[in-house]
Amino acid sequence: MANLSLPLRGKRIGKKTSGLRAGQLGFISGALIPLMLYMMFFSLLPMIWALILGFFEYSPIRAGNSFLGLGGENPFIGLDNFRAMFAESQPARVFRMAVVNTFMFTLLVLPINLAITLPLAVLVESVHDRLKGTFRAIYFLPTISSAVAVAIMWGFIYHPQQGLLNAILKLVGIIPPKAWLTDPNAVYLGVPLAMIAVIIAYIWQDFGYNLVIFIAALQGIPKELHDAACVDGANAWHEFWRITMPLLKPTLLFVCVLTMLSSFQVFVIFQVMTNGGPSNQTTPLVMSIYLNAFKYQNMGWAAAISMVLFLIIMAVTAVQFWLLRTDWEY
Amino acid sequence: MANLKTTAIAKSQSPSHIQPHRVAGRSMVYAILILGTIITLLPFVWTVLTSLKTASEIIKIPPSFLPQHWTIQSYLTIFNDPKIPLARFFANSLFVAFMRVGITLFTSSLAGFIFAKYKFWGKNILFAYILAQMMIPFQVVMIPAYLILVKLGLVDTLWGLIIPSMVDAFGIFLMRQFIESIPNELMDAARIDGAGEFTIYWRIILPQLGAPLAALGIFSFMAVWNDYLWPLIVITTHERRTLPLLLTWYNTAHGTRYDLTMAASVLVLLPILVVYMIFQRWIVRGVAMTGFK
Repeated sequence: MANLSLPLRGKRIGKKTSGLRAGQLGFISGALIPLMLYMMFFSLLPMIWALILGFFEYSPIRAGNSFLGLGGENPFIGLDNFRAMFAESQPARVFRMAVVNTFMFTLLVLPINLAITLPLAVLVESVHDRLKGTFRAIYFLPTISSAVAVAIMWGFIYHPQQGLLNAILKLVGIIPPKAWLTDPNAVYLGVPLAMIAVIIAYIWQDFGYNLVIFIAALQGIPKELHDAACVDGANAWHEFWRITMPLLKPTLLFVCVLTMLSSFQVFVIFQVMTNGGPSNQTTPLVMSIYLNAFKYQNMGWAAAISMVLFLIIMAVTAVQFWLLRTDWEY
Repeated sequence: MANLKTTAIAKSQSPSHIQPHRVAGRSMVYAILILGTIITLLPFVWTVLTSLKTASEIIKIPPSFLPQHWTIQSYLTIFNDPKIPLARFFANSLFVAFMRVGITLFTSSLAGFIFAKYKFWGKNILFAYILAQMMIPFQVVMIPAYLILVKLGLVDTLWGLIIPSMVDAFGIFLMRQFIESIPNELMDAARIDGAGEFTIYWRIILPQLGAPLAALGIFSFMAVWNDYLWPLIVITTHERRTLPLLLTWYNTAHGTRYDLTMAASVLVLLPILVVYMIFQRWIVRGVAMTGFK
């Protein structure tokens, strides 16, 4: 049988450089050319366009000259948008707050998330298979829920008088803060209370995802290694730090990057729970882009902010690749 | 990569190793896991309970946990509100979700097939471009994407939610990974029988992609169903809102009627919870398998 097919195409299609039959080229180009043109139109073009917009003072309500609506009343202003980020104006201050908020959010979410999900994964992995599945299914439940619904649910949980959280806190004898989401003066260790509240809700929604990935990674660790550690007299603590952790390193890195990337892009939960308030204390970068572009129609400035977000995300991704590379060499 | 992770998942089915542990340690583990379960479920329970209370009971201080008078009045109010024909919004969400998922599955598997099974000039460059595209966050390109939509006249239409996202770079990547592991023999046999390339894709490759297509499909469905930012920008007409948009609108309109907003949240959460209960095993494994978020 194999011999029969040989004269037709040489060897296997996938392994030869020039083994295309007549109909194949037509099929490939017929499928890929529209697909690639589509991708260029709906993702490459917007990317380039966003980059260009950042150098213009552009608003969609003003008519421009050229085909992208640039020029004329939407003039080229060079680096002015980027310079304005360091100025002493109100939009610049709000932008800088958004940068700080986004970093504060990400740098708090990441360690808290890991501190919860990694030990929890070890615990879930240690129980009987049947229960393991049940716990995993329950813990994953919030991640599939609509972020809008989650934000509304938690908004009510944080309600100062009628909310569940304050009722519980009072029950156990803790005096709760007078307003979780609206008091601009409630700041703990430099972190606004509203920010803390949103972070708690966000982690509640998001932790199941990392948990499931960690559980899968733990299942991939050969049982023999744990047995060997056991024979050598290692206790659970040593076993975790000396065997589990080093083997989890690639997963840990993967999870870190994904968690950071999605935290940098956070929007919905802030929009619905706090709408950026109080006093812009919980405005993240994406909300800043959204407001400037679609509420204030100031798209050039918003595009410049989106470039800052892009640079941050690229930097995180680059660090990831660099770390992964050193890991492989090892 | 995919194979490695699949093996890891297969392992979970084999009976787990039972290690000798002290009873105290065991109960501690269960105590923590049960506490975690309570924390995970409590907000849902509280939301459902609140939606079953009367409006006057909700504003009582301190709040009651269980309703004193169980009532479904809040749900009746929502169902009978002429301003929110729920069937309409449900249909909007469903239409967008099915179109986007269906088209994405087709484009992902077709492109994945081509990148996995053919060698042609420029293949590596094109695939690298697709990989690079995965890294561009939507929030960075949403302004020009909106301007393109304006030029196409698709603003404030449901098609405006579908047409810009008919190709998913991650989907192509995922499908290529799976299709690469499909042996070529069947394809070769079909070629000898004179089958065209599209027939090979449609009759031979596609039927073998059940599991990855289901995983990608379920995740895309949930992502589209819960999508908020893009619909928020694109849709302005009330009747064209999708469910998450309707929910925020309703929340703003009835901000102080927590019985109503909680009931509305339950109604939006319910369909996806049903999907989750049916496909739970697939979904959780799919996450572990693909790292999809």
